Amino acid sequence: MSATQTAAVTQVYDVLIATFPGRPTDGAVDELQQDVLSLMEEIEPRGVVLDVSAVTTLDSFFARVISETASMVELLGGDAIVVGMRPSVAITAAELGFGLDSVETARSTDHALSMLGVRVDDEESATAAADNDTAATQSAAADSGSESSPSPGGGR
Amino acid sequence: MSEHDSKGDPIKPAGRVRQSGTVRVMGEEDILRARQQARGVAEEIGFSSTDVTRIVTAVSELARNIHLYADDGIMEWREIESGGRTGLELVFDDDGPGIDDVEGVLRGEHSTSDGMGRGIHGTRKLMDEFDLTSTSEDGTTITVRKWR
Repeated sequence: MSATQTAAVTQVYDVLIATFPGRPTDGAVDELQQDVLSLMEEIEPRGVVLDVSAVTTLDSFFARVISETASMVELLGGDAIVVGMRPSVAITAAELGFGLDSVETARSTDHALSMLGVRVDDEESATAAADNDTAATQSAAADSGSESSPSPGGGR
Repeated sequence: MSEHDSKGDPIKPAGRVRQSGTVRVMGEEDILRARQQARGVAEEIGFSSTDVTRIVTAVSELARNIHLYADDGIMEWREIESGGRTGLELVFDDDGPGIDDVEGVLRGEHSTSDGMGRGIHGTRKLMDEFDLTSTSEDGTTITVRKWR
């Protein structure tokens, strides 16, 4: 169960990737925000990718923390991009009318990294050079992508 | 089934109750427990994944309201059946101070700094039926339903 509680911030190139847990307590969400902000100060990355691909329930509290975190990162001189929102979560957030309009979003972590100006010239050297963090992030994004398109009505 | 005498959104009585349960909501971790239980039942009933997300998000909003504003309350869930349809009914009941401006909250106008009003207003859009009664004496009861 600890995987549902803990949040992780990792560094790829000069970008922070903050992965929100699937079912965090309010406290865990606050903690992740704190971690991101203190690493912003410490590492001075060019930006932060907020990975929400594990998030299955985005309520108004969680949405507010995400949009607050994004504005705080920007106040500290970085760019923040939200990545990996599941279709059902995006639909629900839009219906609820959350103030996520001001948050920048990307289709994938790769896309976010390129938006943040991380340049990897050719794919082979990219794979070779970044076999650790980037590869892990890519496969995580791929997994969540396939999870996020369940068959309609397939409740169980 | 034809009584429409309550103010606001009249909600018809539920049909047959197939199964039900209760979650006590006091602390923050109870919000997660309420969500988890609602998700389990909603999936068992066979809601689409988008509807499951709508239901669980509504539970999160309404259970958090109990935690924040009333300290103590319950969520009751019922799998209901009416006219050949299956649905999920959720009742959030507390003995808290009640809501001052119910009409404003329902229109989404009343919003405290932490966005409470918007939560209730938004929840209404996620569910098929919604009913709210609130007094300073008896606290707040919110009933929502989603049909498959």
